[in-house]
Amino acid sequence: MSDDHKHAPMVDEVSEFEILEIAVRELAIEKGLFTQEDHNAWTEYMHTLGPLPAARLVAKAWLDPEFKKLAVEDGVKASLEVGIDWIKTMPTQFGTPSDYCSFRVMEDTPTLKHVVVCTLCSCYPRPILGQSPEWYRTPNYRRRLVRWPRQVLSEFGLQLSEDVEVRVVDSNQKSRFTVLPVRPEGTEGWTEDQLTEIVTRDCLIGVALPKPGKTANDPRPIRKALKPYNH
Amino acid sequence: MSNKPVYDREHHVKKATGIGDPQCFAGEATPARFKVGDQVRVRDLPDLFYTRTQTYLRGTECTVSALVYESPAAEDEAWDNTDKAEWFYSLVFKQSDLWSDYPKTFGGDTLETELPERWLESA
Repeated sequence: MSDDHKHAPMVDEVSEFEILEIAVRELAIEKGLFTQEDHNAWTEYMHTLGPLPAARLVAKAWLDPEFKKLAVEDGVKASLEVGIDWIKTMPTQFGTPSDYCSFRVMEDTPTLKHVVVCTLCSCYPRPILGQSPEWYRTPNYRRRLVRWPRQVLSEFGLQLSEDVEVRVVDSNQKSRFTVLPVRPEGTEGWTEDQLTEIVTRDCLIGVALPKPGKTANDPRPIRKALKPYNH
Repeated sequence: MSNKPVYDREHHVKKATGIGDPQCFAGEATPARFKVGDQVRVRDLPDLFYTRTQTYLRGTECTVSALVYESPAAEDEAWDNTDKAEWFYSLVFKQSDLWSDYPKTFGGDTLETELPERWLESA
């Protein structure tokens, strides 16, 4: 090991909210509400999560009509097939005030398109989809999607004809939602693994449609503020 | 010796562990007042301190699409009052009923969300 390089700092900048989190966490540990081990277990659990299990659930549903029926009727039970136990995988064994154990899979048809939002905060099916993207948590997405869904979907590059009913799903109570899109043309004869690859996180939220060859989310355009706030 | 009543701060953990929330409230609700297909209206009740019934839904008619689970309402649960479970309904609203200027071209657009029974009345 050579010592002649500078070590990168662990933290570049700590925000006020991070300081607040550390302060509350340390007080909670001191008071005995939970232990540092509990906190480590939770953090490590959160880092294992991502959208792959939900993508596989959709691929399975495309291939197996019986499984699709189960997924739509009982999302928690169907999740077991892709390795997600909504109740027992979580370190708490019952969910949290944010991750309840009610999971609903909303099935699209050629004339019905679901898109998910939480107008209250940013409720998201984390056990099966991982952490929500930054834009999902922004007040702009949350308030505009229920009011002007077509315009918001257009900004994501998704323009739907008037024959398609756009159904916004507002995740405001204990259920968490994902979208089961229509299987795209050009995927005939594909395996479950191939199908899983084209079900991106954006498809599962409902702001994009799966397409053969498209295996990543579109980059989100960043528009400059009209009246920037100068720090 | 103190006569102070002992409040069990872990009552919810004990009840829900290994079963899940809202699963742990199954069977506790009063019989459901509405069924799938019923036309209902969101009541405009006063909300003190906490609610999850958005203003934009209030006073609007909608259709029950599913009875989803039994649970205490968020307004009670926020204060750790979990002894009165009720049915939660999935409801479908027409966007044109929610927003008077919603484009008529897209008159078929809808919105689906869930509310506890106390917020609903027959339409």
